[in-house]
Amino acid sequence: PAGPTRTRKEKEPFEMDFAAPMDRTLADALYTQASSNSAISMPKKDWKSKSRNLLPDDKHFNSRSLLNLFLKPKARLSSRRIRTGLGGNGHRDNVPPGAEMDE
Amino acid sequence: HQICNIFRDAQKNTASHRKLIVSLRKIQEQCCYEPANPKKADTNVFNETTFNNEFVRCALRVMPVKKTESAGEKVIRFIGLFLRHSNDKDNELLGDVEEDASVMPETAGTRLTSQLMETILPLLTSKDKFVRYRSTQLISHVVNSLDAIDDELFQKLRHGLLRRIHDKEAMVRSQAVLGLGRLVGNQAEAGADPDDSDGDDAGLLEKLLEVLQNDPSADVRRSLLVNLPILPNTLPYLLERARDQDAATRRAVYSRLLPALGDFRHLSLSMREKLLRWGLRDRDDNVRKSAGRLFRERWIEDCAGVPATDEDGKPVESAPNFDGLQELLERIDVVNSGVENGVALEAMNGFWEGRPDYRDAAVFDDQFWLTLSAESVFMARSFNEFCRSEGNGKYESLLEVKLPEVTKLAFYLERYISVLIEAIKRVQETSDENEEDEEEDTVEQEFIVEQMLQIALTLDYSDEVGRRKMFALLRQSLSIPELPDEITKLTVNVLREICAPDLAGEKEFCSIVLEAVADVHDTIADDTAGPANDADTTEDSFHSAKSEVSLDAPAKKAAARGASTEEDEEEARQKAIKEIMINMKCLYIVQCMLTNVAGDLQQNDHLVAMLNNLVVPAVRSHEAPVRERGLVCLGLCSLLDRSLAEENLVLFMHFFAKGHTALQITALHILTDILNVHGAQLLATTPTLLKVYLKALRSGSKSPEVQAAATLAASKLLLGRVVTDPDASSELLKTLVVAYFDPSSAHNQSVRQALNYFLPVFCYSRAENQDLMRSVALDALHSLYNIRQNLEDDDVDVEEDMQNLATIGACLVDWTDPRKCYSPDSGLDSEKRSVNGDIHLSLALDILERLGGNMSKEEKKVVSPLLGKLYISASSSEDKIREAYEEVTIAVNDKLV
Repeated sequence: PAGPTRTRKEKEPFEMDFAAPMDRTLADALYTQASSNSAISMPKKDWKSKSRNLLPDDKHFNSRSLLNLFLKPKARLSSRRIRTGLGGNGHRDNVPPGAEMDE
Repeated sequence: HQICNIFRDAQKNTASHRKLIVSLRKIQEQCCYEPANPKKADTNVFNETTFNNEFVRCALRVMPVKKTESAGEKVIRFIGLFLRHSNDKDNELLGDVEEDASVMPETAGTRLTSQLMETILPLLTSKDKFVRYRSTQLISHVVNSLDAIDDELFQKLRHGLLRRIHDKEAMVRSQAVLGLGRLVGNQAEAGADPDDSDGDDAGLLEKLLEVLQNDPSADVRRSLLVNLPILPNTLPYLLERARDQDAATRRAVYSRLLPALGDFRHLSLSMREKLLRWGLRDRDDNVRKSAGRLFRERWIEDCAGVPATDEDGKPVESAPNFDGLQELLERIDVVNSGVENGVALEAMNGFWEGRPDYRDAAVFDDQFWLTLSAESVFMARSFNEFCRSEGNGKYESLLEVKLPEVTKLAFYLERYISVLIEAIKRVQETSDENEEDEEEDTVEQEFIVEQMLQIALTLDYSDEVGRRKMFALLRQSLSIPELPDEITKLTVNVLREICAPDLAGEKEFCSIVLEAVADVHDTIADDTAGPANDADTTEDSFHSAKSEVSLDAPAKKAAARGASTEEDEEEARQKAIKEIMINMKCLYIVQCMLTNVAGDLQQNDHLVAMLNNLVVPAVRSHEAPVRERGLVCLGLCSLLDRSLAEENLVLFMHFFAKGHTALQITALHILTDILNVHGAQLLATTPTLLKVYLKALRSGSKSPEVQAAATLAASKLLLGRVVTDPDASSELLKTLVVAYFDPSSAHNQSVRQALNYFLPVFCYSRAENQDLMRSVALDALHSLYNIRQNLEDDDVDVEEDMQNLATIGACLVDWTDPRKCYSPDSGLDSEKRSVNGDIHLSLALDILERLGGNMSKEEKKVVSPLLGKLYISASSSEDKIREAYEEVTIAVNDKLV
């Protein structure tokens, strides 16, 4: 039912009011200390990453590596069996979306 | 009042900060110093305490501001700037009396800083994440903008920040390491202060490097990457980020760290090569671009010199410096990085693309060709490649102008080939002294010839004079037994280019290559004393190959002659080795030739003769290297002749069963190519063939390389729709899925990455493929369930190497999601259309059937949640929906789910 007349609400530019007196919420936010150090810290197990957050050696698989012969890399497989859609669009070096769970 | 207003303005834009700082300083001076003008001072009711309180009060107002509001950061920057300004002014007022005193004088500025910092410090451990964020940001900022801070306070700040490098929130950690990163730098510069707690500093750096490697947030790692000082002990850690999981971080290595590093020549040769290779072949386009720019704008400058500046400091157009470019190529070790699959070609391709100045100024004249070095020839080769492959032909005219005609190139090539052959012979003759120098020289000469052949591969041979000259030269060179392998291969490839592309051309090509093979083979006869083989025809030479192919034959003959002295034995041994070498060489030429041949074997007499007289005897040879090379040639011949393939299938399988790893891989390659070329009927007639694949796919723990080759092979067979038989293809696919998740392949990147590419591409490219995946999904899941169960029973920590079963299940559901499948009529824009969801309904029925079976309770817990992830669409076929509905109802009634 929301008609087309409804215009997007302009986001009001954010501004701090430096003159305003200290109120309860502000004071709470500023001076409530964390219950414990661990409550505001990363769990220890996350301090170390086994992979050191590095990528494995990239083997550069792409459609080419699946569409040529092992012994004659220059000769492409006969086209009768290979569907066209596969070679180019978007599959170049990239892994299709949703398939990255192994990285 | 005034201070308030200044803060209010400061949050709006940073441009007015300078002005605002001056005004605020005026107020501060009025409050804190003896009035210069006593009359005015009467009106001044404020003192320093009031000023500082008000300042701190305003600063506190920033603390709860969210990270997304840029006003917060503006004010914090303003505070930093002001404190710096105020301290500077204070010091000016103090005069230079105490400038180099070790004790810091107390001033209005330092008092304000202390009060502010003391107030903010406790906020670092506040419960509110934004308060922690802003307080950390402010402290980091202040620490960075001030030259000197009271030591006691400084230690407190440092300690406070240090605790925040393990904050729960990445944004807080990011700010903390920002502040600390610079501190490490300052301390490194100050360096020689033994009284300072230096053990502590080492500890700080160590901690930050640990964060750089381990922090789960890429922002934190990146923030450290660009803020840590570049020092001999930090550099390896910083450079390592070129392989960070996060693309923006990798990019920062190329666009920020490496340009800031200074002369790249300080890096080790292998590091330069790695950085270049990683960057230029990154999967992310932006990283590739940054790496390309680094090479063609920064590294070249390190070699060619920075563009000079004129009086106004503007860079003057400097002429391209080709000596500099050659040095650059030398510095990336082009002799090694410029070979096939080396990164130098990509680097130079980007160079010619991005440096039109060099492109236009390049000159390849007589003088150039007569004095080639590895670097200069690579310049020409890469330029040639660039002009032919980029810009849709718009650079080809450049080649016409700059490159000599075919005849001339052939003439130069001839010179360098003869120089090379002489050098090789020299090395063979001279014994150990000077050998290293000589060998190095032949490596460069080899490289030069290779590059010239790479150019020859792309030339236009319509000019008959040039064509003939090149043809004759190559035919002649090919007869030289000493010609190195890589050059042999390129020579054969060029010869194929020179011959016409049609069948007649192919025949001509085969006949002249085989002539050369006969010439090479005759060199065995040349050395024997007697006039053994004067006949010059191909046929006869091959016959001699047949009879002398085994090592024992000549030795036996020698023995028979009764000349059993040691010298004779030694001579016979030398001769036998030479024979093997020559046979290997002949087989190699043949192998190179066969990779360029496509016609029917039986239609080509030259090939039939070669097969019978050279290849078949080689396969039967007692010498393993000869036999193995013969096998490859036989494989290549089988691709040209179906019945030959059929006859030898068992032989290839035998090599797989009995061979060493490399031979097993070769056998797999041959078998797969045969199936690809001749179709999969062979699979049906030879049931054991499928077993070869299955065995190889499961050989992960024993020989990972074989598993990798088999993975690629099976992927090709499935994706190319070579194997379509339902039993065979589902068996293969299931084995692949299991191999993908099996922890035994966790460290086999070739297997994992190949499947990571193949599985989704396979499933999403055809509905039939997707249905095949559906049909094997639950079996695969079951196998994986068992694998995991067994490992857990053995108390192996599986978490690290194996996904949990829920994730695996989700993956299988995803691969069978009909919305993701390409369909010819609606293309790939699956989002907007409603798709026939039969496949997931079928999967649902499969799942229900399993649940109704005798599956263990534990496994049911894995399988049944998958039902909730399926895509159920109204555009599925009606009876399918009904069927699924009924089954679900039954299942619910039976409390199966």
